Amino acid sequence: MKKVLLLSLVLTLALASVGIVSAQPPGCPADLFPLMTAELESACSGGLAGTVVTMTGPFTEGDEVKFNNAIAEFEEWTGIDIQYTGSKEFEAAIRAVVEGGAPPDIADFPQPGLLKGFVDDGFVIDVSTFMNAEWLQQNYLQSWLDMSQMNGITAGVWNRFNGKSLVWYPIAAFEAAGYTVPTSWAELEALEAQIIADGSNPWCVGIESGAATGWPATDWMEEVMLRTTSLENYDNWSFPADLADRLPFTSPEVKNAAEVLGSIWFAPDMVYGGQQAIVSTSFGDAPLPMFDTPPGCYLHKQGNFITSFFPEGVVAGEDYGVFYLPGIDEEYGKPFLVAGDIYAMFNDRPEVRAVMDYFSRGESVKGWLAAGGALSPHNDAQLDWYGSELDRSIAALVAEATSVRFDGSDLMPGAVGAGSFWKGMTDWVSGTVDLDTALAEIDAAWPTE
Amino acid sequence: MHASKKRALWIVNGTLAVIVILWTIPTIGLLISSIRQRDDIRSSGWWTVLPHQAWQDTGERLPIPEGQTRDQPITIEGKTATYAEWQQGVDMGDGRRIQWVGNLRLGELYVLNQNWTANTDFTLDNYGEVLAGREFEVRNADGSSTTVQGANLVGAFINSLTVTIPATIIPILIAAFAAYGFAWMRFPGRRILFIGVVAMLVVPLQIALVPILRDYVALGLNGTYLGIWLAHAGFGLPLAIYLFYNYMSNLPRDILESAFIDGASHFTVFIRLILPLSIPALAAFAIFQFLWVWNDYLVALIFLGLNNNIQVMTTQIAGLVGQRGQDWYLLTAGAFISMIVPLIVFFALQRYFVKGLMGGSVKG
Repeated sequence: MKKVLLLSLVLTLALASVGIVSAQPPGCPADLFPLMTAELESACSGGLAGTVVTMTGPFTEGDEVKFNNAIAEFEEWTGIDIQYTGSKEFEAAIRAVVEGGAPPDIADFPQPGLLKGFVDDGFVIDVSTFMNAEWLQQNYLQSWLDMSQMNGITAGVWNRFNGKSLVWYPIAAFEAAGYTVPTSWAELEALEAQIIADGSNPWCVGIESGAATGWPATDWMEEVMLRTTSLENYDNWSFPADLADRLPFTSPEVKNAAEVLGSIWFAPDMVYGGQQAIVSTSFGDAPLPMFDTPPGCYLHKQGNFITSFFPEGVVAGEDYGVFYLPGIDEEYGKPFLVAGDIYAMFNDRPEVRAVMDYFSRGESVKGWLAAGGALSPHNDAQLDWYGSELDRSIAALVAEATSVRFDGSDLMPGAVGAGSFWKGMTDWVSGTVDLDTALAEIDAAWPTE
Repeated sequence: MHASKKRALWIVNGTLAVIVILWTIPTIGLLISSIRQRDDIRSSGWWTVLPHQAWQDTGERLPIPEGQTRDQPITIEGKTATYAEWQQGVDMGDGRRIQWVGNLRLGELYVLNQNWTANTDFTLDNYGEVLAGREFEVRNADGSSTTVQGANLVGAFINSLTVTIPATIIPILIAAFAAYGFAWMRFPGRRILFIGVVAMLVVPLQIALVPILRDYVALGLNGTYLGIWLAHAGFGLPLAIYLFYNYMSNLPRDILESAFIDGASHFTVFIRLILPLSIPALAAFAIFQFLWVWNDYLVALIFLGLNNNIQVMTTQIAGLVGQRGQDWYLLTAGAFISMIVPLIVFFALQRYFVKGLMGGSVKG
C-alpha cells in the first residue's frame, strides 16, 4: 500500500515536471503588435519563455495590483515573468542599487530629471539601438519623443501619464448656486468674482507635503507659464537643451507668471482659509472643504490622482466634476500640463528588449486604463479602453489640447525642481520673502554645468 | 522621620506617574487613531473620542436677511457682526449660537446649542486591511471586475523574524568571545585593537552603505538573508563588544584566578564561568539589537531592497501609504501590529535590562 502511494507520488511529480518543462506559451495574438523588434517577435512565438525581467518603481499597493493585472496577459502569452517590486523610497533606493552595481532590468521613473542623472552617468541603455524608430514616431506625439531624448540617447519609453491642468468642482452645489463651468480665462475670473460676491471662497489651495512642501505651487506656476508665454520659453525654462538658452527664474516671463498666480492666491477671500492656509494645508486635505455642505470652496486645481484623497463614497459625475483650466492668452492656445512615467532599461538582454518594446504599446496599459487611474500616452490606445467615464473625459481633454508639456519641476535638475523651486515658492507664499528674492533664490540653485 | 520618608516616596512616585502618563499620551493617541474611520481621522483629533462639550445643530433654522454684502456689518436678532463672524457662529448670550451656513444668497442661519458629545465611531477595518491585505477591485477590459487581494503582512512578519533573530544572535556570539579576549587575555596590540573597535562606534552606518552594497553585488550576497545578517551583525558589533567588555572586565578576578589554578583553559572559563555570569549584559544587548533590527528600515531597504519576496515589516508598512501617501490612515494600525513583537521581547528580557546596563558602571 505504502509502495503504491509512493509510486503514484513519484509518477505525479514526474508528470508534473514534464508538464512544466513542456508548457509552451500560447504566443501573442497575430497582428496585435505591428513593427515589432526581433526580440518581441521571438517572445511572441514563445522563444523567451521562462526568462525573468526584474522591474522596480515608485508605485505600490493598489497601483501595483493594477500594473500586475495589466501585464498578466502578456506574461501568459510569452512565458516571460515580469517581477515588479514597488518601493516607497524609490528615489533613494534606485540610486543605491544602480551605483551598487545591481540595477533592476527596468525602472519606472516618474521624474525624467532623476533619470537624466543616470543617463549622464552612463547607466542607461539607449532604446533607439534596438527599437523600431518608425514605430516610436507612429505611436507617440513628438512632445513625448522629445522628452525622452537625454544627453543624446533615447532614455526610455513613456508608459503612463497623469493630467494636471484640471479643475475639480462640486457639481451639485456648483449648479445649485447657479454657477457654470468657465471655458475661458475671462469667464473664470467672472466666476471667481461671483463666488466672492456671494460670500464664499472660490479656490481651495494647499501646498504642504512634508519634505516636499511647495510642489503644488510649482505645478500652478507651470500652468500659468504655459498660458502666458511661448512653448519655446517654457522649454528653455524647464529643460534647456543648452545652458546658454536657459530662461532664468528672474526673467520677466517667469516673474509675470508668478504675479498672475499671486493675483489669484493672494487676493482677499479668493482662497479658503486665506493666504496663510495655503502653506499649512496638506495637498491631500486641500480639496476636502469642497465636499462640505455647503462647500468651503468651489474650485480645486490638481492632477487626476487627487481623487484618491477625496472622502469615501463621493462619486465622479455626481458629487464632483472636472474641467480644463482655461488658457489665459489666446495666442498660446490650450496647453495641457502632464506628468508621467518613463520606463528605462539598465540591462541589455533579449527578454528585456522585448518587454521594453511591449511597454511602448497601448496594449501594455490596457488593463490599467480599464481599472482606472492612468492615462495612456500611446497613439494606439483607444478611448473606449478607459474603464471610468472620468478618465475618458480627461483623456479627451488632453486630446483636445493644442500642446502637451511635462511638469517642468520634474524636468529641472533635482537641486531646483525638487529643492529650491519648492522652497522658494513656499517662502514667497508664506510671506517670508518677496517675489524678487524668492525667484533669485530659486535661480541660484541651478547647477552651472 | 517616618512620615517625611513616606511623603518623599509619594513625591517620587507621583512625579514618575506624571512623566509616565505624559510619555504615553502620544502612543494612546496613536492607538485611538488606529481604530477610527479614515474621514474621522482627517476631520477631528483623536481626543474628541472623550466626552466633551460641542456646539450642535438644533435643527432650527432662521431665514437670512436679504441683500447683504460681505463688507457690511449684519444685524440678526439684535446682534451685529461681520459676515465672516456670522460664518464662524456668534453667541447670542442665551446659550444659543447662530451660524450662517452657506453663502450670502443661498445660506441659512443654523441655531446651535452646546451639548456633551463623544466621537465613538470605531472600526477594526484598518487592522483588517493591514493584516489581511486590502481588497482592490480591478475592472477588466470586458467590463467585469475582479477583486484582487493586496499584499498582507504575514509574509513580511515571518521575513522580519528571519532577519532579526540571526542578526541578534550572531553579533552576541562574536562579541562575547571578543570581549572576553579583550578583558582577560594578554596579547600584544590588545589596547590598539580595542581602541579600534571602540572607534568604530562613531562611524555612521550610512556612509558604509554603498561600498558594502558593491561588495555584496560582487559576492552575490545582495538581496539575501545572509547579506543582511552580516550587515546588521557588523553594525552592531562595536557597541556589543564595548558593552560586554565593560561588564566582563568588572567580574571578580578571584573566581577566574581560582579556575585557572585548577587548570581550566580560557575556553572552559569562558563557557563555564563568564557566559553564565554575563547573562544580564547579553540580554540587555539582545534587547537593543533586536529592537534596532526589527525597527530598521534603511539597512533592509538597501540590502534586501528591491526583492519582493523578502520584504520586512518596516518596508512593507511604509508601502501601505501608497505612492502619494493617500492611505496614510493605515499607518497607525500597521505601527501597532509591528510593535507587538518588540514589546514581547522587551517584557521577556526586561529584568536583565537595568542590571546589564548598570553592570559596567558600578564596581561589584
